[in-house]
Amino acid sequence: MSEIGRLAVILAFIASCYAVVSIAWGLRTSMAGPLRSGRRAVWVVCGLTLLATVILVQALTSLDFRWRYVAEHTSRDLPMMYRVSSLWAGQEGSLLLWLLILSSYGAAFLWAYRKRLDPFYDAVAMVVAAVMVFFTGLLTFVSSPFRILATAPADGNGLNPLLQDPGMMIHPPILYTGYVGFIIPFAFGIAVLLMNRTGTRWIEEVRRWTLFNWMFLGTGILMGARWAYIELGWGGYWGWDPVENASLMPWLVGTAFLHSVMVEQRRGMLKTWNVALIVLTFELSIFGTFLTRSGVLTSVHSFTESNIGPWFMGFILISSTIAAALILYRKALLESENRLDAVVSREGSFLFNNVLFVALAFATFLGTVFPVVSEAVTGSKISVSAPFFNRVNVPIALALLLLTGAGPVLSWRRATASVLKRNFLIPAFVGLLAAVIGIPLGLHGVYPVLCVFGVAFVASTIVMEFARGIQARKDVSEARGAMSVVSLVQKNKRRYGGYIVHAGMVVIFVGVLGSTVFQKESHGPLRVGEKLAIGPYALTLRGVEEKQVTNAQQTRAVLDVSRGGKSLGQARPAKAMYFKSQQPMTEIALRQTSAEDLYMILGGVNDDGSVSIQAYINPLVSFIWVGGLIMALGTIIALTDRMRLRREEKLGG
Amino acid sequence: MGSRLRIVLVSLVIVGAIAYLILTGVKQTGLHYMTVTELAQLTRPPAEGGFRLDGRVATGTVRYDQKLPRLSFQMTDGKENIGVVYDGLMPDAFGEGREVVVEGNYSHPARTLNATKLVTKCPSKYEASGLGKDKA
Repeated sequence: MSEIGRLAVILAFIASCYAVVSIAWGLRTSMAGPLRSGRRAVWVVCGLTLLATVILVQALTSLDFRWRYVAEHTSRDLPMMYRVSSLWAGQEGSLLLWLLILSSYGAAFLWAYRKRLDPFYDAVAMVVAAVMVFFTGLLTFVSSPFRILATAPADGNGLNPLLQDPGMMIHPPILYTGYVGFIIPFAFGIAVLLMNRTGTRWIEEVRRWTLFNWMFLGTGILMGARWAYIELGWGGYWGWDPVENASLMPWLVGTAFLHSVMVEQRRGMLKTWNVALIVLTFELSIFGTFLTRSGVLTSVHSFTESNIGPWFMGFILISSTIAAALILYRKALLESENRLDAVVSREGSFLFNNVLFVALAFATFLGTVFPVVSEAVTGSKISVSAPFFNRVNVPIALALLLLTGAGPVLSWRRATASVLKRNFLIPAFVGLLAAVIGIPLGLHGVYPVLCVFGVAFVASTIVMEFARGIQARKDVSEARGAMSVVSLVQKNKRRYGGYIVHAGMVVIFVGVLGSTVFQKESHGPLRVGEKLAIGPYALTLRGVEEKQVTNAQQTRAVLDVSRGGKSLGQARPAKAMYFKSQQPMTEIALRQTSAEDLYMILGGVNDDGSVSIQAYINPLVSFIWVGGLIMALGTIIALTDRMRLRREEKLGG
Repeated sequence: MGSRLRIVLVSLVIVGAIAYLILTGVKQTGLHYMTVTELAQLTRPPAEGGFRLDGRVATGTVRYDQKLPRLSFQMTDGKENIGVVYDGLMPDAFGEGREVVVEGNYSHPARTLNATKLVTKCPSKYEASGLGKDKA
């Protein structure tokens, strides 16, 4: 079977090359035949990649240890669902998943535009095919998952215990769906430049694709944070680890793009900037894959150090050079139609939003690669970690939070003093009130107070926008109460979807603030019957139990949990010893409520029979996950708005 | 003042503020990133700033007091050794011979690094070896 898999990938490589050449030829000669043939080749690549993936998954689930990839990442005692997910446990399989998602996007794109006989869309497909050439090439010549061992081992090496978690079943595919999806906006951007495309229709199309990927990327990032929180067992969810940064950077630049593209739609400005942002978002996605998979930077994720690094760097260099050259070549096309009238205006706020988002991405990038940069510049390696990112990124993020409240209610072109007064007087007052209430409750320092102010400020601008909208529709709409909100959102899904996304972000800020400022920690060795007090909680050790699960031996501490003297039942933080890797795995116990998480870690059983327990109270962490859900919901609402697309279709854009 | 000029000025102020944050951030939180040998052979360590060190856990040197908790071990790159003390629970993948990254303050007289952060590189890489060659 491995030969078939290998052959499928080689054929996919050939088909990708064919698609690029055929479409290029068709575009050059304006012949429909080569264009059609090239589009079909993209479908063929998708089919072949699916075949290759099915073959690899089949080998993984049937534990065919003659396959190197299977022997490296599975073992006999591995539960079935993790055999499937070991498809993305290693580099070769991850690349295959990348290609599968990439070619699926290509196919989905062709399907969505199947009725449009416009060579512009063929050019988009050509760019997608060109990127497929790279990935099929990598899988064929550099990093094949279909290698067969000279002698098959009796059992495989097993899957890294960290990856044996239900979250790991879905986190990477969702993250990749976001990452890889930026291919479509990128391909649109390049195609616009190649075809010298005017009009605005494509901008709305790109916006919608980007919104879709952006939602997946954001959700994937939060799922990664949740996985780290539960699985890594250090009490936190975000450590500014290079791989976390790698997923955050394209999200940040993509977010900048989603905002500035509105300025282009509305006012015909910032065109060069927008194309540059699309390109940058895509390059950062590729860079993210490179960081995760090349092991150039040390992180808990860099379990694969390999030979693909130079290929990725080469790809990034070549593709961004081509993009930059095209932008310069098509300068006339990207000429701005308007000029910025005032600083205090919608455009102005979008501009600053962009400066801040890109700065945030830049600071994150710089911090991530700082050892490399400092060695090149000064000759000595300097490394930065979490304190640097907190110092630099927190104030920028807070400035963005304030803009979230200000931007949407500023008018286009120029905001007058009366508009400012009407829109900001109450929110500013609410913000101040919240800060004043917050300070005696234990808020110390400028940033936490500013954050509380910002959260209340933004939340009240959003509430006011909804209230105003409902008020304005009172005469035309029958709906009352909660239904009036629904009917308002339905009327302008794009706008109110956006507000809901902002509301979700505000909720996330609340969660981050609560869990960083008010976190409590306590630890100690406990004997049976002894108590560990933390905040209002008391943990009483009842005993230690051993339990065997499928592929590991668990040691669990049994704790009676009580809060303010009231019993809340038992918790069982554990250490699992995986038979295969002989590596202990901390399995935390978590008691979640909307107000706070009680996070319990078993350090281990000591020689004298006592048990080391570490506990955290992480307030408001659940807000982070809920905020993510609200953001995804808002994005879906905004995505279902097809009004703008239809209008621009009518205009013949 | 023209609005264009004003926008440029405001943007410059923002960019300047961020540049300031980055520069002071590096100055105040930057860590000297070294190998064990480089650190061990320093005659005079830099006056300020913490260190980040890559290396392996030397065999037979791990002491772990789980009750405190405090973990101490010698870190090696094959030539030199540096002592590391870390006040915290032992990470899951930690063990003798494992590759680790530590960050913290260095005491030159004691040749000991007081780590505030300890990351163990996942061992799957060298576990994966031992499978032998591919079939021709």
